[in-house]
Formats: sequence, structure tokens, C-alpha cells
Amino acid sequence: MGIVKNIAAIAKGMSVTFMEMFKPTIVENYPDGPGPTRGAMFQDRFRGMHVLQRDENGLEKCVACFLCAAACPSNCIYIEAAENTETHRVSGAERYAKVYNIDYNRCIFCGYCVEACPTDAITHGHGFELATYNASSLVYRKEQLLAGTPAHEGANAIFSQYENARLIPKK
Amino acid sequence: MAGSFMRRIAVFMADVTLTVDGKKLTVPAGTLLIEACKSTGIEVPSFCYYPGLSLQGACRMCLVEIEKMPKLQTACTTPVAEGMVATTESDKIKQARKSMIEMLLANHPLDCPVCDAGGECELQDMTFKYGAAESKFMDMKNHRDEQQWSPVVYFDRPRCILCYRCVRVCGEGMDVWALGVQNRGSGSIIAPNKEDHLECEECGMCIDICPVGALTSGAYRYKTRPWEMKHVGTVCTHCGDGCKTTLGVRRADTGMQIVRGDNRDKSGINGDFLCIKGRYAFDFANNPERLQQPLIKRDGKFVPSTWEQAFDLIASKFQEVLASHGPSSIGVVGSNHTSNEENYLLQKFARLVLGTNNIDHHRTADFPALASALAGKKDATASMRDVFNAPAILLIGNNPTEQHPLLAWQIRSNVRLHRAKLYIANSSPIKLRRQATAFVQIAPGSEGAFVQFLTANDAAADAVASPQLTREALSQMRDALKSESGLVIIFGSELRGSDVTALVNYGLSLGAKFICLGDYANSRGAADMGLYPDMLPGYAPVSSATRFHEHWLDEVPTAPGLNLLQLVDAAKAGNLKALYVVGSNPVARYNIDPFVLSKTFVIVQDMFLTETAASADVVLPVANAYEKGGTYTNTCGDVQMLKKAGEFSGVRNDFECIVRIAAGMGCDVHKLVPFGGGGTRADMGQSRGAQSGESDQHAVWLADHNLEPKMSPYDPVAMLDEIQRLVPGYDISRLGLLSGHDEHTQLVQITGATGMGHPELVMPANDKLFTSGTLGRFSATLNTVMERYRTMPEDVEIAAGYDPMVRE
Repeated sequence: MGIVKNIAAIAKGMSVTFMEMFKPTIVENYPDGPGPTRGAMFQDRFRGMHVLQRDENGLEKCVACFLCAAACPSNCIYIEAAENTETHRVSGAERYAKVYNIDYNRCIFCGYCVEACPTDAITHGHGFELATYNASSLVYRKEQLLAGTPAHEGANAIFSQYENARLIPKK
Repeated sequence: MAGSFMRRIAVFMADVTLTVDGKKLTVPAGTLLIEACKSTGIEVPSFCYYPGLSLQGACRMCLVEIEKMPKLQTACTTPVAEGMVATTESDKIKQARKSMIEMLLANHPLDCPVCDAGGECELQDMTFKYGAAESKFMDMKNHRDEQQWSPVVYFDRPRCILCYRCVRVCGEGMDVWALGVQNRGSGSIIAPNKEDHLECEECGMCIDICPVGALTSGAYRYKTRPWEMKHVGTVCTHCGDGCKTTLGVRRADTGMQIVRGDNRDKSGINGDFLCIKGRYAFDFANNPERLQQPLIKRDGKFVPSTWEQAFDLIASKFQEVLASHGPSSIGVVGSNHTSNEENYLLQKFARLVLGTNNIDHHRTADFPALASALAGKKDATASMRDVFNAPAILLIGNNPTEQHPLLAWQIRSNVRLHRAKLYIANSSPIKLRRQATAFVQIAPGSEGAFVQFLTANDAAADAVASPQLTREALSQMRDALKSESGLVIIFGSELRGSDVTALVNYGLSLGAKFICLGDYANSRGAADMGLYPDMLPGYAPVSSATRFHEHWLDEVPTAPGLNLLQLVDAAKAGNLKALYVVGSNPVARYNIDPFVLSKTFVIVQDMFLTETAASADVVLPVANAYEKGGTYTNTCGDVQMLKKAGEFSGVRNDFECIVRIAAGMGCDVHKLVPFGGGGTRADMGQSRGAQSGESDQHAVWLADHNLEPKMSPYDPVAMLDEIQRLVPGYDISRLGLLSGHDEHTQLVQITGATGMGHPELVMPANDKLFTSGTLGRFSATLNTVMERYRTMPEDVEIAAGYDPMVRE
């Protein structure tokens, strides 16, 4: 009985091995895979390069409250705030980030900034190809971090137009 | 503030003993319970209570339990009583305070992330402490849009917790009464007394005192958050009062940028006070027009150069002029904004290296006259703190509300809290007359005659006479003054020369102390440090041998040099071959035709391309007082330390420039600056003294004062060592200076009165509340405020209590 049991066990094990032999031999075909990530696969919770999100109107969610910078243990976030005006509306609140830099030389991808953000403006994306030969190019500006404009592109302009019509008294 | 008031009452009232949280303490009768708790280290929270302002009892945060009283009591309005037993922390109290915060938060928006007060908000702190973060209300919050009341004051109504601090500080403290309360009960709102805007001195006190973010500053709006800044307490560089201002600095592309000024650090002579200039007019430092590179004029055009090229050119030019025309063909103009160390170094450089006494500065008050009139009498000058405590004050000339805002605040607070008597003689109805016990409006220019009248010269009354003045009022004031003890006499630049002597003789007979009002941040320092053609530091005449001749171990020229106007004349005549201007703008100030200087080699050290700099041959961009260390002496003679706050790339400080030019001319720098090695061996004089009988006195002095020799020739503290050693009156506590205190100096002339300077050269700056000479022109905030008041309609009806004299 012992022998039969052993053979069965080996056969069961080998069947897995033989089955695997006919499957593709690599787990993820990075960087030759299809799609924008070139085959790289991520868990949803993966903390990659940050993305500054926009709201449903296409306006920036960031209100430049500096809480991410305060939470940052490696002090890699630099912000300069400015005030939205009727003709130049960037975020939904009264202020927005005129400058928003993240220094990826220093960032440790701990996610504290995301935790701290009161408006869910900063999130971790899945970007991970940050390697470079030039350290100065690791300081990412707001333009590089911002999420793309949503499908209904130009909403921002239309929104401002509506706002302007409402706020500026007719002469 | 209230503390000292209470102390004064305590002279008449006995102490009482009470128990707070089981601790026994003894305080003067009449002390408020909240102050008594504070004195023993127990903090009772409060929003509406503010020391020195009237009591409000509005916020109910300071509720405490007092035995034998049925309900919780407000500690801020309850005076202590004998045998009182109070508890400041208990479950009942905690519950009461929590409920109070819940009520306050009922309509307070939760916009802390975008609120400028976030991080330094008292309501935020209290909510953290008492944990009333969740709201029990279902209704929508009642939102109101933010209002802009003035260029620097923004008001967000829903954030307001109605503590009325702003209303009280504006009215009682500033005597401006621009803010008020509209409606009653739950409908109360804080509102300006002029419909939708403020007409005020724009001091920003309401913003500073606001416990929440209801009143926020237009100058600091959204710039950064409190925890992002480093806070540096330094001395304001505008008027001569020497307020301590706390500058918030933050890193930017041009270095450390100053983003905010306030008085977080209330330890200064100004306590709670700061005016618009101290609070907002730091922004000249960030002006884009600032020079960042030395400029050399070639073929009538400025070409940027390196520092080495500029220093080489200046040094070689000075040597060339010295060789061909001699020292008398060089002039030096000093500044009222540079530090004491730089002024001292500049005159030492002029006298020892250039060998000339042709050195002057823009004089705004006759300090030499006061020094010689006092004739070495000790403790005869009052400090800025004395003004707050003096039982009586006599103010002759000047308009402190405009020109010396802190002095005006001290006088007002003294009158309000200590019932001090204020006597004013002025040619115009200045605003401070509202606090005066007696005010006489004398004829313009008759301040001298008024002093004569005080000294029992009845004939002078005719010269003083003006339509607004009765003979009786004059005599009454003279009689009242006779019986005042502890009088502080404050006089403006209207009194000069022999008038000052007469006033001092009169005042000394009453045992009075004096304050002479100069206009700029370091006018007094420039005078004390000897930026005069005929006087060395300490008002010592150049002609007679003094300790400076002895200690500098060099030939100090003994013939008086040319003063500023004579320098201009010399330039006109073609006799002035080189002019060295440090931080000053004589071309604009004295209305000099720039063509006059065309034959003179002009070197200017300044922040901006001013009128003088534009006509210069070399311009060196230098740091301002917020960007360097050193000391300032305010107009009363209180010395304070400057601390480096900002940083601007490309500039150097005046001290370094002067030393480098001297070094370039082949001068032994040790002779100028007593720094370590060479000239100042800390060997107690053995190496020189044993053989020659002469010791290294500087080293001996340093050892005696527990100080180390400084190791850098660019260290202004090395110069401070020499100033403290040689300039009379400056033997003040170094420890006090370093820990940020103000140290009062004695005004002592080295030898007896020989000359009294030239009173006719005194030219007051006549700055208003919103102007500050050349500096003010480069401050965006001051310009915006002035622009606004210029465009304000003329026909605004003047409210009761509003005084047109405030602004003109």
C-alpha cells in the first residue's frame, strides 16, 4: 500500500509539474508585455509615484494646505500656495497649489502624505519607472504629478466661464 | 500689563491668601483669579480675556469652581478674596468647557486645512484638549463669504467666535475705534465702523490678537503654514522705537525668504504692539528690484561684475586718490539703518584707513546737544519701558502716533492702565491730545520759546501764543509740571542746540528723565557711534586727545572734517575726488543734482538702485538689517540684538564690504577689527607687556568679561567687543543682549561740552505712518495701503473718535 500511495503522490506532484511545463515560463512579461505598464502587474495597494487627483469638474483637488508636507518624514514635498481668482480658477476651494514639487531622491513611498490629505488630492499611483542618471530630474513638478484632464476635457474652462458669469456683476 | 497695574494697586492694598487646586498662594488684593492662577503656573483657558484690555466675560471658557459659590464662576472677572478656595480642573468644569466649545463650533467651519490660523489657533488647541470635535447639529452651517476690509485685513465671519478682543484692542489699545459690534445677542457680528471697510492705522493688532482665523492678514494670505516657518525674533528696521518683530522665514529660490512678520515673541519692549511697518513692511527684502550683483559703471552704463573686481577697483581708486589728492578729498556717508558695529567700523575705517574726518550721516535729531547738556549725568535718560511706567510724561513737539507708533502705544497704555499724567505741547492738534491731562497748542516753531516759558521766563509766552491757546492754560501747565515727580520728558527734533540745553536744565531740576526722538531704526546708534565730522564715538570731540587716540594706536586726524552739505559743496567745486556712501540716499534726501557727483568717484552700498546708487561708479548689493547680526540702539538708547532671519542670494553685508575694501588697500585688518590672532592675543599682555610695559588691553578686557577673542574679521561681535570696551554707556550686559533683552545705555559724553554739533543740519525725516524713507518705497504693502488711502473718497463723513490727523 505504501508503494501505491507513494506512486500516487509522485504522479500527482508530477502532473502539476508537467502542466506547468506547457504554460508560459515567466510570471510577468515586463518590460515586453502588452499595455501601458508593459506587462508589469500591481496590487491595488501598491505605492508608486504620486498622482494629484482632479475632481468631477476637472479642477485640482489640492487646496495647498501643506498637511502632506507636514506629514512627510523625509521632507520631500515643497508647496507654494496661491489664491484662486474669478478668472483663474485652478482648484475647487479658495486656494490652490501654485507649485507642488516632490523630490523622489528623498521620498520613501510611505504613504503618510496620502493619509494626511484632507481632500484626497494626493494618491499613490502605480508609476515605478523613476530611475534616472540625473538626480535633479527626480524633482517632479506639479505638471508631472497631475492626473490627466478627464474625458470631458475643457470642463475647467467651461466651469470657470459659468463661475465668471455668476460672480462678476453685469455692468 | 495688567500685572504691573495690579502691582501698583498692591502698594495700597494688602495681600490676600487663597487656595487654587490645593496650592496656597498669596497675591495682591484686586488681582483677578485668572492672573493669580497664571502666577502659580496653572493655566485657565480663555478666549475673551486678554491682559491689559477691559474685561469681557463673553466666552465662558475660564469657568472655575469656587467654594461657597453656587455656580461655576468666570476666573477672568473674579477678583481674589481672602480664604478663597478655587478648583480649576474637575469633571464638572471639563464638561462645561466642552459644551462651550461645542457651541462655538456649531457654526465654525471645519476648514482648518485652508485657514491661515490653522496650526496656531486657540480654538483648535482647545478642541484638541477638551475633545468636542463631533457636532450634534443637523442643520447646515450658516455660510458667509469672506470680506476684505482693507489691503491687509480679511474677515471670515463664520469663523468668528465673538470674543471681542479685536474690538477692544482697536479701541482701547490703539485708540482708533475702527471696529465695533453690530446687532445684539446671537445676531452679534464684528463689523467695521465704516460700512464695509476699515479706516484705521492698519496696525494689524486685531489680526494678531484674534484667537481664531476670523481676521487674517492680506500680506501673509496663503503664503505658508505656521509650522513650515522658522521664527526669528529681531528688531524692526523702520522707525526709531526698536520694536521686536518675529519674522517667519521659509526657504525659497533666492535664499531664506521672509514671509511673515508678527509679534509672536512678546518679550520685546513693544510687548503686544507692532505697527504696520513692523508687521508688514519687511517685504522690501523680497522686492524683485533688489540688486544681486556688484555693478561697475563703464561708459555711463552699469555692468555686472564679480565681487573681487569691485573690491579691487574701489581699493585701488581710494589709494590713487589718497596718493594724488590726500585724505581730505574723500568723503564718507553713513546710514541710519546699518548696525552699530557697521557704523563704528565705518567711522574707524574713515579715520584710520582713509585718514579723514569727512564723515557724516543724515541727522534726524540733535543727540549731541542732549549728550553735552546732560554733561555726564547718569540715569538721566528714559528707556522705552519707562514710558509705560512713568507717573507723568511731558511731550514737546513730534507726533508719536505717526512717527513713533510704539512710543504712542506706551503713552496711551500708561495713561489708560496707570492713570499717568500726560502733558503735551505741540503746534498741531496731534492725536495723543485725547489722552492728555493738559494740551497746549503752541505757535508753529515756538517749541524753544515754550521751554523758555517753562523755565519761568514769562516774556516767552508771547512767542508761544497761538489762537488756540490761552495764557491761563500755559501757566496752569507750568504750575502742574512743577509738582510732578518721576517725569519723563520726550522731545522731537523741533528742539535743538541751546533749546535742548535749556530743557535739560529745567528737567534735571525736577529730577526728570529724557528721550530725544530720532527718526530711523538706528539714528541714535549712528550718532553714538560717531558718524560726525567733528565727533568720535561717545560724542568725543575729534580735536582733543581721547581714549580713542590712545587705543587705536594710530594718528586720528584732529581737524574736524566736512559735514554732508559741505561734502556736496566740495563735490561741486571739484575738490571731492571720492565719496563712499553706505546704506544712505543723500541725493534724494537732500535734493542733490546727480550731475554734482559726476566728477567724483562714488561708491554706494545699498539694496536697490536708488537715486544715489544710480549716479555711482560702483554699486555693491548688500544685506539689510533682517539679514544680518549686530546691534541697534533705539531712540531712547535701548540696545538690542539683531538676529539674522532672511537670506538673499548674491548680497554681502556692509561689515564684510568695509573690511574687504580696507584689506584691499593693504591695511592690517587687525587694526580695524579686533579678531583672534595677531593683534589680540589672549595672553594677558605677557608677550608685549612684560618687555614694553604695555598690555594687550583688548585681550585683558575680553578675559575680564569672560569673552573669547572672535576668530573672523567679518564677525560684527568682534566690533561689539570694542564698542562695549571703548564707547561710554555701552558697558551693558552681554548676557542680556544675547538673550534678546533690551539693555538701556547711558548717554555719556566722553569729555565736557565743547561743541554741540550743528543743530541746523538736523533734518527730520517726517515719515508718516505708512512711509519709511527709501525702504518704504520698496515695500509693496505700504504702497498698496497708501494707494488705497489716496483713492479713498474725500467726502467721507468723519466718525466720532476718528481723527483726521492720523493720516494726511
